[in-house]
Amino acid sequence: MNELVRAAQRGDTMAMNELLDLLTPYVTRICGPIALADGPDAAQEALIAIFKGLRGLREPAALYGWARAIAVREAVRVARRSRHTVEFEDDLPSPTDLEQAADIRDLLARLSPEHRAVLMLRDVEGLDERAAAELLKVPVGTVKSRLFRARDNFRKAWSS
Amino acid sequence: MSGSWPVAELDPVRRLHVLASAISGAAVASRVISAPFEQVWQVAGDLERGLGTFEPDMRSVRVEQTESGLVAHARSRYGFRARFEVDLRPGWVWMQSRFLLIGLAAVPVAGGTLFAATGGVRVPGRAGLVPLLVRRANERALDRLAARFS
Repeated sequence: MNELVRAAQRGDTMAMNELLDLLTPYVTRICGPIALADGPDAAQEALIAIFKGLRGLREPAALYGWARAIAVREAVRVARRSRHTVEFEDDLPSPTDLEQAADIRDLLARLSPEHRAVLMLRDVEGLDERAAAELLKVPVGTVKSRLFRARDNFRKAWSS
Repeated sequence: MSGSWPVAELDPVRRLHVLASAISGAAVASRVISAPFEQVWQVAGDLERGLGTFEPDMRSVRVEQTESGLVAHARSRYGFRARFEVDLRPGWVWMQSRFLLIGLAAVPVAGGTLFAATGGVRVPGRAGLVPLLVRRANERALDRLAARFS
């Protein structure tokens, strides 16, 4: 993959095309849970930011981590741009809640884009709180509180 | 898990915008063609018989499957020859020769097919196109393609 990144950085558009094949499933998986209905816009804007910045990526091995940070940032930005009513700012569902949810999309729609980002990083990307905080540029305590506060309230609201 | 996490979609036209954004001087022309995707792509995706009917300066194209992938040997109206590496799939063509680039994408939409085109003369050594007339050239290609279905 290093050679593919290098070739894309040199301006080989076939390599860019191939690299896009590799990155698209990863970026769409990140953007979907955060941007929901705006997912296609978010994925497009995230990939544009990634490919525009590709020449500045010094270490090809860091590609996915670098792309993940851009995708999360763009997905939150796009989701905030067209944001509607958010009912449960501080309540994040636990993995058990998610397992029991018939429709994760409906559940995610009740959260802010920032909370959806924390949830996605934990449950889809498998990041711990410290790594998620670093990526989101917020204190670890903020991630913890977003993850754990008022879970009981969330459950009550969800089951009502 | 009873539900599944939502995944965003990136259709071929959005994909074309992504690649074009990373190529300096590139412009994307797009429009809705009033014909079903299958009919439009039957022309656009047929490199040997269809591409030359709407892409400027494509007089003949011969496609060859090689060990490293699909290759198109093209000849222009002025006799120039080009050997393109090709990525061809439903709704998507990306072709690169040493000096030229052609990108086409299509998706079905209400009222027909959203079709987008980019390409032009490559700048050696980087992801760039000579910006001269690229927008008009791509618009002309779409005019010709749309005219086949009007």
